[in-house]
Amino acid sequence: MIELLLQTGLNALFAAAYLSLVAVGLVLIFGVMGVINFAHGELFMLGAYVVVALYTNLQMPFFLVVAIGLIFVGLVGILMEMTMFHPLKDNPLGGLVASIGFLMVIQALIILGFGVRMEHVPPVTQDVIVISEKVRLPVQRLFVILSALVCLSALWLFLKRTKFGWALRASAQDPEAAMLQGISTRTVSIIALFIGAALAGVAGSVAAPVISISPVIGHSVIVSAFIVIIVGGIGSLEGAVLASATYAFIHTVITTFVDGVIADIVGLSLMLMVLIIKPTGMFGTQDRV
Amino acid sequence: MSKPKLLILFSFLLLAVILIVLPHGLSYSQREILVFLTINILVVSSYRLLTLTGEWSLGHIVMMGVGAYGSALYTKELGVPVPISMVLGALTAGIIAWGLSFPLFRMKGFYFLIGSFAAGEIIRLLWKRFRDPFGGPKGIKRIDPFPDIDLGFVRIDFFDPVNYYYFALIIVVLCLVILWRIEKSMIGLTFHAVHWQDKLAESTGVNVRAYRTLALVISATFAGLAGTLLAHYIGTVNPNVFDIEQMVFVLTWAIVGGTTTIYGPIIGCIILTALNEIVLREMGLEQGRPLVYGLILIASVLFMPKGLEDVVKKVIDWIKLHVLTGRIKNV
Amino acid sequence: MKNFSSQTKREFLKRMAATISAGMVMGLPKMTLAAGETIKIGFLAPLTGPVAAWGKPGLDGCQIWAERINAAGGIQINGESHPVEFIGYDNEYDPAKARAGASKLVIEDGVKFVMMLGGDTWPGAQPVADRTGMLFSTLLPSDLGPDTSTLIAPAEVHPIYNVTGVQWLAENHPDLKSAVICAQDDALGIPSVATYLAAFEAAGIANEDPILFDAATTDFAPIVSRMISLNTDIICLDTCYTEFVHPLVEQLFQQGYEGTVISCTADFYQQMIEKTSAEFMEGFIFQFPDFDDPALEQDFINFEDPGGFFAEYNNRHPGEWGAVSWEYASIMDLWKWAAEKANSIEPGDVLTSMLESGMGEHAFGTADWWGKDLFGIDQALVGNWPVVVVNDGKARIQEYKWIPGWYEEHGEILKKYFTEYNIMWDQR
Repeated sequence: MIELLLQTGLNALFAAAYLSLVAVGLVLIFGVMGVINFAHGELFMLGAYVVVALYTNLQMPFFLVVAIGLIFVGLVGILMEMTMFHPLKDNPLGGLVASIGFLMVIQALIILGFGVRMEHVPPVTQDVIVISEKVRLPVQRLFVILSALVCLSALWLFLKRTKFGWALRASAQDPEAAMLQGISTRTVSIIALFIGAALAGVAGSVAAPVISISPVIGHSVIVSAFIVIIVGGIGSLEGAVLASATYAFIHTVITTFVDGVIADIVGLSLMLMVLIIKPTGMFGTQDRV
Repeated sequence: MSKPKLLILFSFLLLAVILIVLPHGLSYSQREILVFLTINILVVSSYRLLTLTGEWSLGHIVMMGVGAYGSALYTKELGVPVPISMVLGALTAGIIAWGLSFPLFRMKGFYFLIGSFAAGEIIRLLWKRFRDPFGGPKGIKRIDPFPDIDLGFVRIDFFDPVNYYYFALIIVVLCLVILWRIEKSMIGLTFHAVHWQDKLAESTGVNVRAYRTLALVISATFAGLAGTLLAHYIGTVNPNVFDIEQMVFVLTWAIVGGTTTIYGPIIGCIILTALNEIVLREMGLEQGRPLVYGLILIASVLFMPKGLEDVVKKVIDWIKLHVLTGRIKNV
Repeated sequence: MKNFSSQTKREFLKRMAATISAGMVMGLPKMTLAAGETIKIGFLAPLTGPVAAWGKPGLDGCQIWAERINAAGGIQINGESHPVEFIGYDNEYDPAKARAGASKLVIEDGVKFVMMLGGDTWPGAQPVADRTGMLFSTLLPSDLGPDTSTLIAPAEVHPIYNVTGVQWLAENHPDLKSAVICAQDDALGIPSVATYLAAFEAAGIANEDPILFDAATTDFAPIVSRMISLNTDIICLDTCYTEFVHPLVEQLFQQGYEGTVISCTADFYQQMIEKTSAEFMEGFIFQFPDFDDPALEQDFINFEDPGGFFAEYNNRHPGEWGAVSWEYASIMDLWKWAAEKANSIEPGDVLTSMLESGMGEHAFGTADWWGKDLFGIDQALVGNWPVVVVNDGKARIQEYKWIPGWYEEHGEILKKYFTEYNIMWDQR
């Protein structure tokens, strides 16, 4: 029983890691652009397909491919900013519909290029850290946990220590004040989209060897991410990380000890409860809409 | 009667004739699509009523599902005759929406959007989880069809899409008239006030919360009715029919069409459905269909930010300016 | 639902024709077939969306089947040869779209037979089948019922054939005494759970309570941890999507499971070996052979040139091969056999010809029309099914097992579990 609990803790850690990467990106984009990116799960999916194309098919080194995945999906984010979110910056519902359109386009392109069936990614390593007979952490999962730590710490440093980071936070909190300070909101929104998308991309890339990759995986990722950003508070990056951990732990424990559908119902009820008791989320400070 | 009024009357007559003749100009499967389109027009129009108060829901399609499941269960489990169970199904959707309004209207804007999504998903997961009575992931099958009407000299069989289309058309047009009357009444004007002048409306003694709840309940009841129309036509419902992907379609119809007029969402629904189900299918684009549809969505919000209704408004203005004034001058 | 006599069917079609306005291209299905005229077959399945993997590869397989048949002279009816053509309609796994699609294929395109995936979409198409008398097929026999007189389940009688794997396992590894099943909680997983529970019980293997998960699950580590904690000799993966089988197996490997694994499917099993190891996958039991298996080159096998079909399919659609790739094509073999026997392509004649001897030409050998007990109608084709086991990194058919034989002995147990899970035909 203790072993099962410990193993469940490790399982939850992995789920929290990739979920927080996706959720933080979603919060960042919402904070700066004021738009919900419905296609965010598809950015995760694109990151995974970069691995299929370059690592599985062209046999390039895995960590190089992850870096390419990060940059490529980040660039897709910039493409979204330029073609959709910037022209629609005064029209959040329009931005929502455009991101839905973008989701359909990406999914269809992937299906045309790779087919409808799941894709294969050979293991990068099969090493397992054996803590005890029934408590094990596969190294590939550790990679995902470490990447989340590295990326999120880097983001934190970037936001707190650099001029751009400061501008980005200022712009998320008060766009008009930021503009008065002479910060180009355009540069800020491009950077935000790059970072937000790149985080989803890197999550998809680094998790690619341990998940099943198909053109529709974005859907289940985005639903969990929505729950997490609400529970954490929509404007709060720290909240997104903490809520990812909380949600992943609760969901994993209930899946292990009760069943998966109940875990989903509990997750959604939790979100609804947070919305009722404190609509700005556990860590949210401002109400943006 | 003045000339513009005559013209309006004439346009309505023309529209009525077109709606009656329409199915006879279509192929059999296009008539099937026409039936679904008619039902969806009620879904998207009832959705618009809620948006008048400024709230956008992601749970509307689940309310349609509540109506469909409700009506199906009343006939199957309790033996209620179909026409009555349809009314009961619609009312069930209204009651559930009323219940949900308590948690949901503690939220506004984006939070309401996500909260309504959560509430809808919970209902959908309950359908999935509880096989008795909801049938689990497979849903409910063999729902009684709307009974045939035998008038002695003619027998109306509602399996035929043309007959069901006329039946659905009558109900939908009636509902649209009711929705229109509500919007033009004091209640409707208050909805607008609630949207634009939240605090002001409150300070003048309007119970904002009550009006929001009323809008939610009315819109859910009509969505539920649309659900019952669907359930007794195709004879089966399952949780996937009412999932977020279907909701996304309703949302895009409303936004691409525009929501400031009553005809905006209807036009959005008609044009996008015709494109997706008829034009793109005829082009033989099986795998590419979502690709083209997605591009159309992006292009439409980029280049028609005010929706299709704005194009229609401009056409009407043009007619008013050129045709009407021209004629009057001639006279 | 009412069963329409052929008289009312014809009347219905006539009335439908009468209401069709002039100028529309929409003739009725022709009653006589002109010399050399192409025979049209409908393919009504999800081609886009999340369930597309159960439709699209099947249509691809059918195209290859049609090319091969047409190159060999087509279908012989009354001494005339007719080419065959497939018309696809994407129903997106939505019952309303299935209804519209069934109407289009049957009434407008004049197809003579419609193949479906079934499941959620069959109830949508059923009224069209009832009214027109069109012959339909499904991959999921749970769609069958006493009132589905024109529906057949001829390719795979999922999940009944899963008993063969358990039977083989019990015969060859009598030391294994306990099992736990994990399953996706939907129309695919649940009947399979009932079947595996019955099969284990019949083989004297103790069952733990099955572990169900939602079809939207992304991480399978928690489920695997729980299964391993139960310390059973056998872990059964039930009938899961390929997207779930792979991560389940990978997690079993990484969390150090050492017992036996049995599963309904193991599509792309080489990739699973790559993700785990040849040693781990040794003895993995499943039910779907690749079609280059030498055991398919036997006389009683009715699938024409399975090796050539497999090679051609992989050549055109690398990485897409799975059970559905050949199943729809094998249904067409059965249809061709029955149509040529009847010298007619009319749905009623073909159905009569299929059913008349109580036996049909199934891919894995002549089989019985069966199913009254479980499905309420004898229109599922059940006979041999292969047990496939991974040995030295290669999955090969070990043995064919005769399913009706198992059922004769253990049918009551299966009925017990079908009743427990509310999936007997009279409970639906």
